[in-house]
Amino acid sequence: MIVLWFLIKEGFRGLWRSNYAGAFSIIIIALSLILIGFGYVAARDTLVMVENIRSQFDITIFIQPKVASAELENFTKELGNIREIERIIYISTDSAAAQFKLEFGEDIFDILDYNPLPPSFTISLKPPARNLISVEEVAARIKKFSIVDEVKYRKTFLQLLEKYQRLIFVAVVSAFIVLTLISIVLASNSIKMTIFSRRNVISTMKLVGATNNFIRAPFMIEGTLEGLIGALIAAIVIGLTFYFFNNYLQSFTGYRAIVSYRFYGGLIGLGSVIGLLGSMRAIRRFLE
Amino acid sequence: MITFFNVSCTFGKEAGVKNINLTINEGEFVFLTGSSGAGKSTLLRLIYMDLFPEKGKVVIRNFDSSKVRSSEIPFLRRKVGMIFQDFRLLEDRNVYENVALSLYVSHYKTREIRQRVYNVLNQVGLGHRVYYNSKELSGGEQQRVAIARALVKEPVVLLADEPTGNLDPRVSSDLMSLLTRINQNGTAVIVATHNYSLIPRVPNARLIQVNEGEIVNPT
Ligand SMILES: Nc1ncnc2c1ncn2[C@@H]1O[C@H](COP(=O)(O)OP(=O)(O)O)[C@@H](O)[C@H]1O
Ligand SMILES: [Mg+2]
Repeated sequence: MIVLWFLIKEGFRGLWRSNYAGAFSIIIIALSLILIGFGYVAARDTLVMVENIRSQFDITIFIQPKVASAELENFTKELGNIREIERIIYISTDSAAAQFKLEFGEDIFDILDYNPLPPSFTISLKPPARNLISVEEVAARIKKFSIVDEVKYRKTFLQLLEKYQRLIFVAVVSAFIVLTLISIVLASNSIKMTIFSRRNVISTMKLVGATNNFIRAPFMIEGTLEGLIGALIAAIVIGLTFYFFNNYLQSFTGYRAIVSYRFYGGLIGLGSVIGLLGSMRAIRRFLE
Repeated sequence: MITFFNVSCTFGKEAGVKNINLTINEGEFVFLTGSSGAGKSTLLRLIYMDLFPEKGKVVIRNFDSSKVRSSEIPFLRRKVGMIFQDFRLLEDRNVYENVALSLYVSHYKTREIRQRVYNVLNQVGLGHRVYYNSKELSGGEQQRVAIARALVKEPVVLLADEPTGNLDPRVSSDLMSLLTRINQNGTAVIVATHNYSLIPRVPNARLIQVNEGEIVNPT
């Protein structure tokens, strides 16, 4: 207990004494966490947006012309049995004609003397099924019904969406890993400067019989504190930016950045880990 | 207590020490003498295992240089006190903190640390300097802080490498009396020095003459 107290005091003392080198590691950790924090929120909200676009995705089923209403009713029931389907909208021949007039401004009966527009269904899928594989599978199942003439959906749109979603995800995860590693290395280099400036403390401690763990502990505490302070700075910068953004710019952009306390908790945790790992990496060389 | 078994520890071709056979007993006062570069510091460093022999081995109590693991060396150093010409105090700390460091690393309780530090500081005559910063002290006082730091852990042997190197003659003489008193309380003392004028200060001391890395008068 007393030892722990001694080591914590040593850690704080080190932080206090390290001035420039310590401030440098704090700034580096703060900057990386600001990048990581904004990057995370931007990526998260982009993915949410992509998901929203995905929710507008639907499949159109064109029915053969002149089918009996009993068959149609039966088919509707069959559609209802497909688990992946969320919503079914039936568009009759008449409403298709009305739709046509709405879209093209011309009455179909003025062009042709009969209505060529087949009845159709527009279905949307439940969220977990809104991916290319499920869509193709559902479409194939629907196509097997004899009254179905054609199943249409925007395949390239879906492909593109999935490609970008994957791309964003990979980019975010790799940026996160790279940034974290870079900040560990940079923080550890500046912690190394701190340790170098106090190598006489280390050699004195060795002289009087301190174990390596005992020598290491204050530097680890110091590094963790630096990480913690860096993270607090990052949290304040990000929090104020979002506050400003949401209160003054939302009307222009229509975007609201919302983060929970868990986000700030994560930042602070990550900052401490960066500081801790950075200091462990830094001290290694001085203990052989 | 300390035994060198045919120890060689060289740097490059000639420098260092060669074929050292030596036993130092509990409670002895030993002068390691010889000109600068003779190998005195090397012998001391072999004792506190800052260096390891290329040939032979050094055994201090139950620590054997040929078998010791690096994680055990701190425990050897808690039994061996060291002082140097340049004192090696932590300048940003006061006298109390410098001495207490020696006990904190061995996980003592605060009350015991306090008691022991005050005792040892009184013993070396620094009871009135407890909360002085080490920079505010004279050379002789700084060396006594270093001695207090070495002594507070109650070592079996105190190693002193040119302890008077930075002190004027009168202060050196006081220091030798202090080392003698410490020795009379049962701690072995090994003083490495090229200053032969210190020798008469300790009448019963054993002399070991080192020359070009070898012991001249084997005993
Ligand atoms: N780390 C080292 N590297 C190379 N040579 C060294 C090293 N330490 C000591 N020596 C050499 O070993 C010899 C003995 O040194 P040392 O034990 O310091 O002598 P002393 O303490 O008697 O003055 C000297 O010639 C010195 O130059
Ligand atoms: Mg020397």
